[in-house]
Amino acid sequence: MRPLDLKLLRDLRTMKGQMLAISLVMACGLTMMIMARGLIVSLETERDRYYAENRFADVFSDLVRAPNSLRSRLMEISGAGTVETRVTGHAILDIPGMDDIAEAILVSIPDERPQQLNILHILQGRLPEHAGRNEIVISKAFADAHGFRPGDTIQATMYGNREELYISGTAMSPEFVYELPPGAFVPDNKRYGVFWMNERELANAFNMDGAFNNVVMTLAPGGNVEAVKAEMDRILRPYGGQISYDRSEQASAQWVETEIEGLRAFALAFPIIFLSVAAFMTSAALTRLVRLQREQIAQLKAFGYSSTAIGIHYFKFTLAAVIAATVMGGVGGLWAGRGIVILYEPFFQFPSLTFRPDYPAVLIGLVASAGAAFLGVLNSVRQAVKLPPAEAMRPEPPAEFKPSRIEALGLQNLVSPAFRMALRNLERKPWQGLFTALGLAMATAIPIVPGAMRDGMNYMMDFQWRLAQRQDVTLGLIEPGSYASFTAMRNLPGVLHAEPFRAVSARIGHGHHERRISLSGLPQDGQLNRLLDADANQIPLPLSGVLLSEKLAEVLDVKPGGTVRLEVQEGRRPVFDIVVAGTITDFADIGAYMDIDALRRLMREGDTVSGAHLTLDSAQWAPFLASAREAPQIGAIVRTRAARESFDETMAELIVIAHTIYFGFAAVLAFGVIYNGARIALSERTRDLATLRVLGYTQREVAGVLIGELALLTLLAILPGLFIGTQLAAAILEAASTETTRFPLVLTGRTYATAVLIVLASSILSFAIVSRRIHKLDLIGVLKARE
Amino acid sequence: MPDTKDSTNGLENRDPLFHARGLTKVYHPSGEIEVRALDGVDLDLFESELVVLLGASGSGKSTLLNILGGLDIPTDGTLDYRGESLTDADERTLTLFRRDTVGFVFQFYNLIPSLTARENVALITDIARNPMAPEEALALVGLEDRLDHFPAQLSGGEQQRVAIARAIAKRPDVLLCDEPTGALDVKTGITVLEAIARVNEDLGTLAMIITHNAAIADMAGRVIHLSAGHITEIHTNTERRPASTLVW
Ligand SMILES: Nc1ncnc2c1ncn2[C@@H]1O[C@H](COP(=O)(O)OP(=O)(O)OP(=O)(O)O)[C@@H](O)[C@H]1O
Ligand SMILES: [Mg+2]
Repeated sequence: MRPLDLKLLRDLRTMKGQMLAISLVMACGLTMMIMARGLIVSLETERDRYYAENRFADVFSDLVRAPNSLRSRLMEISGAGTVETRVTGHAILDIPGMDDIAEAILVSIPDERPQQLNILHILQGRLPEHAGRNEIVISKAFADAHGFRPGDTIQATMYGNREELYISGTAMSPEFVYELPPGAFVPDNKRYGVFWMNERELANAFNMDGAFNNVVMTLAPGGNVEAVKAEMDRILRPYGGQISYDRSEQASAQWVETEIEGLRAFALAFPIIFLSVAAFMTSAALTRLVRLQREQIAQLKAFGYSSTAIGIHYFKFTLAAVIAATVMGGVGGLWAGRGIVILYEPFFQFPSLTFRPDYPAVLIGLVASAGAAFLGVLNSVRQAVKLPPAEAMRPEPPAEFKPSRIEALGLQNLVSPAFRMALRNLERKPWQGLFTALGLAMATAIPIVPGAMRDGMNYMMDFQWRLAQRQDVTLGLIEPGSYASFTAMRNLPGVLHAEPFRAVSARIGHGHHERRISLSGLPQDGQLNRLLDADANQIPLPLSGVLLSEKLAEVLDVKPGGTVRLEVQEGRRPVFDIVVAGTITDFADIGAYMDIDALRRLMREGDTVSGAHLTLDSAQWAPFLASAREAPQIGAIVRTRAARESFDETMAELIVIAHTIYFGFAAVLAFGVIYNGARIALSERTRDLATLRVLGYTQREVAGVLIGELALLTLLAILPGLFIGTQLAAAILEAASTETTRFPLVLTGRTYATAVLIVLASSILSFAIVSRRIHKLDLIGVLKARE
Repeated sequence: MPDTKDSTNGLENRDPLFHARGLTKVYHPSGEIEVRALDGVDLDLFESELVVLLGASGSGKSTLLNILGGLDIPTDGTLDYRGESLTDADERTLTLFRRDTVGFVFQFYNLIPSLTARENVALITDIARNPMAPEEALALVGLEDRLDHFPAQLSGGEQQRVAIARAIAKRPDVLLCDEPTGALDVKTGITVLEAIARVNEDLGTLAMIITHNAAIADMAGRVIHLSAGHITEIHTNTERRPASTLVW
C-alpha cells in the first residue's frame, strides 16, 4: 500500500466516530431518496402497466337513467375510443357474525361478451355465469377481510329486495385500486367491498332493464379529453347526467396520484436537507483536519509530492464517507422500500406491486451527495496545497480574538470566562456556527411533521364525526319518501331522536367553475348533522340562501353575498340562482346546505325526505340493525363512528411507523451535527481544555466549557427549528390534501415538546460521548509543545 | 544516594510540605524497552523555600514536577503532601489538590487565546477558595496596564507573566515552574524570575523552578541535581542572589 493511503487509513481510524456521524447523516438522505424514488417508480410502473393492460377508462360519468340505445350516440362522440355503458348500484350486506353494517357497490359487466374496459384481474374462481343465481365476483380485499372464497354466498339487500349472492370468484380492478367507501379517506375492507355482476341480472335487481346509469370510455388516439367530456355532458344532460370526469378526478386514480405526489415531495425535500447538512459536516471536519495537518502537508510537499496528489489524498476522506454512506443508504433504502411496499398492500390493490429501485435516481443522489461533499472540502484543500512549504512548516499565526459583540452590550460581568470562550469562538467562526445551528434547526423541524399529521387527522375526524355529525346513524331511502317514511325510520327500535334530511344531487356553478355536489336540506335548529364554523360553533341555517363548504366556495371563487347557479338533477330538476349566505368549515367532501323547507319549495314537493339522522340507544343496536336491514325502503345505513374506527384500525400502525422514521432520522441528524461539531471543537481546543484541567478544573467543568458553545447553538436553533417544522408540516399536509379531503394544520404543545425533546436527547447523548474524551485528555503531552 | 538530611540544613526540624520516598516512574513506550524516568527519588520540600531543579534533558525533571503537582502518578514509591498521600489519591482528589494548592507555570505559557489577560487569571479566581482579584495578581507581575489584552497582543515575557499571575492568584502553597524562561531572552527571563521570587517571598509560597540554566540556580535556597532519574546532589546556597543580578 502506498504510504499516503496508509496515512489515510490511520487518520480515518482516529476520526472514525466523526466519519461515521457524517456517513450516517448522508446515509439517511440516501435511504430516503432510494426508498421514495423506488416507491415512485414501483407505483408508476405497476400503475401504468395495470391501467394499460386492463384498459382503465379515461372518462367517467354517472347519470340517473338512459336507454341502452343511447350507447351508439356516445360512441359517435369525436375523440371517443371504446365506450362501455354500465349499471351500478348499492347493496346492504348481512354478513353472519358481523354486528355492523357492511355495504358494497355493485358494478355490471357485459353479459355475452368480454369486458372491454376496466377489465377485471381475476384472482380466484371465474367470471359470473348465467346460472340464475346472482353470481358475483367480489373484490379481493373484501374477500380477504372476511375469508370469503368462491362458492360462498352473501345475503344482500338490493333496492329493497333481499337476495342471496353467489360468489364465483375474487378479482381486482384498475378502477378500484384504492377501494374507498364514499366520504371516507382510508379503505375499510371489512365494511365496504366492490361486487361485479352480470349486467342483465344487476339491471333487473335495480329496476334498470334496458337502461344504464354509468358510462366509462377511453379516448381515441389524439382525442381531446375536455371536448369529449363536454360532448358527453351535452348528450347525457337530459338523462340526469352528472358532470363527467377524467382520471384526475376518479377517486381511486386520484389517491394513487396523491400518494405519488407526496413521495415526490418527500424524495426531494428530505434528501436535500440531509445531504446538504452532511456536505457541511464533511467540510467542517476536513477543514479542521487540513489545519491540523498543515505542517504534514508542507513536509509532503517538501518531499516532492505534487499538490494534486495531496489534494486527491484529502478528497479520499470524503470519498470514504460517501462510500460508507452509499452502502448504508443503499441497504437501508432497499430494505425500507421493500418494507413500505408491503405496507401499501392494504391500501393499494395492485396485482403485482413489487419494489423496483430507481437506479438512475440513486446514481443522481450519489453524484449529488459526493459532489456536495467534494465542493465542501474543495476550499480547505485548495488552501492547504496552495501554501508554500516553508510557510506551512511554521505554525499558523495565533487566532485573532476580540471581545464578542454581545459583551460590548455590557453583559461581561454576568458571564463566566468559560462562557466568554464559547461566545468568542462562535463569533470568530460565525459560518460554522450558523450551519451547525441550521442542521439542528432541521433536526428540530422534522419530528413536527408526523405530529402535525397525527393531530391534523385526529382533529379532522373529531370535528367531522363527533362535533359536526352527532348522529349515530344516517339512513338513506332508496327513493325519496313521504313524511310516513320518516315516521317509520323514527319508530325503528332503539331510536332516541331523529331528524329528517332531503338530499339531491346537483350541479353548482359560478362563472365558469362548476362542480357536482350533494345539496342537502336540513331542518332548522337541527341537533344532529350540524354545520359549524372554524371554531366548531353551530352556524344557524338561513331561511333562504345556501351555505357552502369553505372549499366549495373557494373552488367556485364565490364569496358570501355572491350568487351561485344550482341545477338539481332529480325530480322536476329545478334550475335556480341562489345567494350564498355563508360558508361552513368541514374537512371531507364539498357540499351545499339549505333549509329543508326552502329546498322542498324549490322542488315543488311536500314533506319529502331522503333519509334521516338518528341517535340510538346503544343497547338496542342489534334489533335496530336487524329491522333497518329488513326495511325495504332503506337503501343505505351509515354508522358515523365507522369512519373513525376504520381510520384507527388502518392507520394506527402506519402512524407509529411514520413517527419512528421521522424521529429516528431527526435523532441521527441532531446527533451527527452535534457530534461532529463537538469533535471539531474538542480538536480545536484540546490545548485549552487540558490547560484548564491542569489548573484544577474538574472533568465536568471542562466538559461544560466544551459543550457550552454547542449547547448555546442548540438552544438558539430550537425556535427557528420549530418555525421551519411548522412550515414543513403545513406544506406536506397541503400536498396530501385533495379537494375532497382536507387535512387541517393542527400543532399542539405535545408535538413541539416532542421535537425539542428529541433534539435535546440526541444532543445530550452526543455530548456524553464526546465528554468521555475529556477523561482521556493527555494533560502532560499538551504542556510539552506549542500547538 | 546522597544524604539528603545533611543538606537540608536546619530545615529538618520543620514538617515538610512534600515528603517523597522511592518515587519511581516507569514508561513502556513500545512495550518492550522500559524507560525509568524517575528511579527511586527521596525528597522533602518545605514551606516557602525556593528550589531550583537542574539536570540534563531527559533526566526526569518534568516527570518529578508533574508528579509533585498532581498531574501524574508515580509507578512506585510514596508521596505525601502535608501528611496526606497523593499516591493513593483518585482523579478527583488530585484535581482538587491542583485547584486549591498548586500554581503551575510552563515553558509555553498555556494561556487561553480567546481570553484576555484579566480573564485568563479570572479562570482561576473563579474557582479558587481564597483568591486575590485578577487585577491584583497582574499588578504583582507588573502587568496592571495590560489587563484587557489578548495573549496574541502580548510579548512572550508578558504572556509568561500572565501565566505567573494566573498561577499565584489563588495564593497557592506551591508554585511549580517548568522552564519558565525557556522561551525568553535574558532580560525578559529576569523579569519573570523576579516575579516568581517575589511571590515566594511575599506570599511564602514553596517555589520550584526547573531550568537548564545553571546561572539561575544562584537565586535558589536549595539546588537539586537530577540525572537519569536519580537525585545526584542537593546543594544549599549559603548566599542567595537576587534574580535581577543574574546573568547568563
Ligand atoms: N509519555 C512518555 N512515554 C514514554 N517515555 C516518556 C514519556 N514522558 C517522558 N518519557 C521519558 O522519560 C524521561 C524523562 O522525561 P522528562 O520529560 O521528565 O525529562 P526532562 O528532564 O524534563 O527533560 P527536558 O529537559 O528535555 O524537558 C525521558 O527519557 C523521556 O523520554
Ligand atoms: Mg522537561
